Amino acid sequence: MEKSLIKKDALAGIAKKMAGDFLVWAPVKKEDNVLFEPLQKDGEPFFAYLNSKNAPKNVFFPHTEAMMKFTRTPKGMVFSAEENKADQSVLFGVRPCDAHSFALLDKLFDQEKYKDGYYIAKRQNTTVISIACVQPPYATCFCTSVDGEPVGSEGADILLVDIGSDYLVEFVTPKGEKLAQYFGDAKADAAAETKKNEIAAKAVDAITSKIPAHEVKPILDKNFDNPFWNTIHGKCLACGTCTYFCPTCHCFDISDEVKGSDGVRIRSWDSCMFPMFTKETSGHNPRTSQKERWRQRTMHKFKYYVDNFDAIACVGCGRCVMSCPVNIDIRKVVEDISKL
Amino acid sequence: MQNPYIPYPVVVDKIITEVDTKDIKTFRFKFINPEDEAKYAYIPGQFGELSIYGKGESPIGIASSPTQKGYVEFTVQKAGVVTSALHEMEEGEVMGLRGPMGNSWPLEFLEGKNIVIVGGGFAFTTLRSLINYMIYGENRKRFGNITVIYGARNPGLLLYKDELIEWQKRDDLNINVTVDKGDANWKGKEGFVPAVCKEVAPSKENAVAVICGPPIMIRFTLPVFFDLGFSKENIITSLEMRMKCGIGKCGRCNVGSKYVCKDGPVFSLAELDKLTPEY
Repeated sequence: MEKSLIKKDALAGIAKKMAGDFLVWAPVKKEDNVLFEPLQKDGEPFFAYLNSKNAPKNVFFPHTEAMMKFTRTPKGMVFSAEENKADQSVLFGVRPCDAHSFALLDKLFDQEKYKDGYYIAKRQNTTVISIACVQPPYATCFCTSVDGEPVGSEGADILLVDIGSDYLVEFVTPKGEKLAQYFGDAKADAAAETKKNEIAAKAVDAITSKIPAHEVKPILDKNFDNPFWNTIHGKCLACGTCTYFCPTCHCFDISDEVKGSDGVRIRSWDSCMFPMFTKETSGHNPRTSQKERWRQRTMHKFKYYVDNFDAIACVGCGRCVMSCPVNIDIRKVVEDISKL
Repeated sequence: MQNPYIPYPVVVDKIITEVDTKDIKTFRFKFINPEDEAKYAYIPGQFGELSIYGKGESPIGIASSPTQKGYVEFTVQKAGVVTSALHEMEEGEVMGLRGPMGNSWPLEFLEGKNIVIVGGGFAFTTLRSLINYMIYGENRKRFGNITVIYGARNPGLLLYKDELIEWQKRDDLNINVTVDKGDANWKGKEGFVPAVCKEVAPSKENAVAVICGPPIMIRFTLPVFFDLGFSKENIITSLEMRMKCGIGKCGRCNVGSKYVCKDGPVFSLAELDKLTPEY
């Protein structure tokens, strides 16, 4: 499909117009943070942001989500599944790294045999619009080391690239094409396309933080018992911040909440950094200390996910690096592993 | 398509207290919607999530055999929040059942072979499913000699006591029941499972050992089978891990790249050797 051009100042207007027609998740300024939230009627999206504080995974995989409801009746418990239904929505303005994370989460939640209807319904009914990183937002960005591109469209339905006075609008998927009408009639010419390619190449070069993410896979295959694993976790507080902010972390807990005779079974984000995560009823815990938990987190991202889905479960957004309260840096961990 | 997170409604049809200490009971469930029984088609070695609303879920191996129609059985020890609530249940009450989950005992691999079943204590449940499956009608012909070595700490802790007696009457089963320590009425074997395995000394020829028990039993039983010449490919066991979703998504039961809930719980020792020793 032909690409479009829109004026840069038209972006907020387009998001607001869409919000009149369906649910639009857009970056919104909240105190010092930018978060993806449903755009309210008189709300103003904030596109001049670097990246959102939270990864936008909560749009498809909310922090807490009802799976089913139950009621106590004189005849016993009666329960009903929460429907796997989602309204038509748009996730407007995510960064390419976060869009990439959706493609990775799809591999887990939308497998051939075991489908997660809650995730899939929201994902299928949401059009993802990415805004390319013409300049890398942070010094901690390392998307190019983990199969990402600052001007990449993986996981996105529409990609917007700032080419100066305009955004070049690329409709990546048929789902994206369906929203073409919102982006006006101005078609992109060859010059705009050339400009975009130049910008994309420069943006790749501008990502200077690099990690040997692919190189460590064969090393991890052989080094489960390496004493190296004793060296990372010493200062880890087991706070779980890294997993909370991670766009690809997807572990969850299932629990029941009851009030009176009504209850709800919910799932909520969980973390492999927590001691209770794997603790069994008997008291046995296969991951006895933070060492094993750090090994699990590292292995899961750079080995297990590769074994199972042929993809690294990291998009190089750098959120875990920036938010770790004790400055454990996954880039350093991977770097150190590469030298084992 | 069936939502894998939503349990089938079942009614507690029968509760059998298995042991003297009364903390292990077998629960027989019937599906409230008869069509659900066919959807719950399972193979010995699989497990289900027992679901008690307001309490949560507990992953438990299926103790009945698919040849037993009309119900599904689980033998459960009272241990945590969910299993304690389960033990408070009465016949006629309604709860939920998810699954069946996991791989299973490798029936095709076992066919035509001599089968040695070794069980310890409360871990005998899915082995009981396998035995009842193999000895059912025409199924029996598909397997060679079947040797069972089953032990518990004392006679009062043996599960499925009536069935053990029935099995001992059959001439196409070699049943060896042992207790660590007998009591005044005990006329059977005394001795730990590994010692009895040594004594029975099953031949490795065309044989597969299926072993399930507490870690301490496994630890001392494996060397016996290695000495008998069993290869790691021909020793099969089942793992337990903390689980929630049961379908490889919630992320807690992995051993290396494998999820015990969906890639297991059944593994051969050869397969386990390829995984990380984290279970």
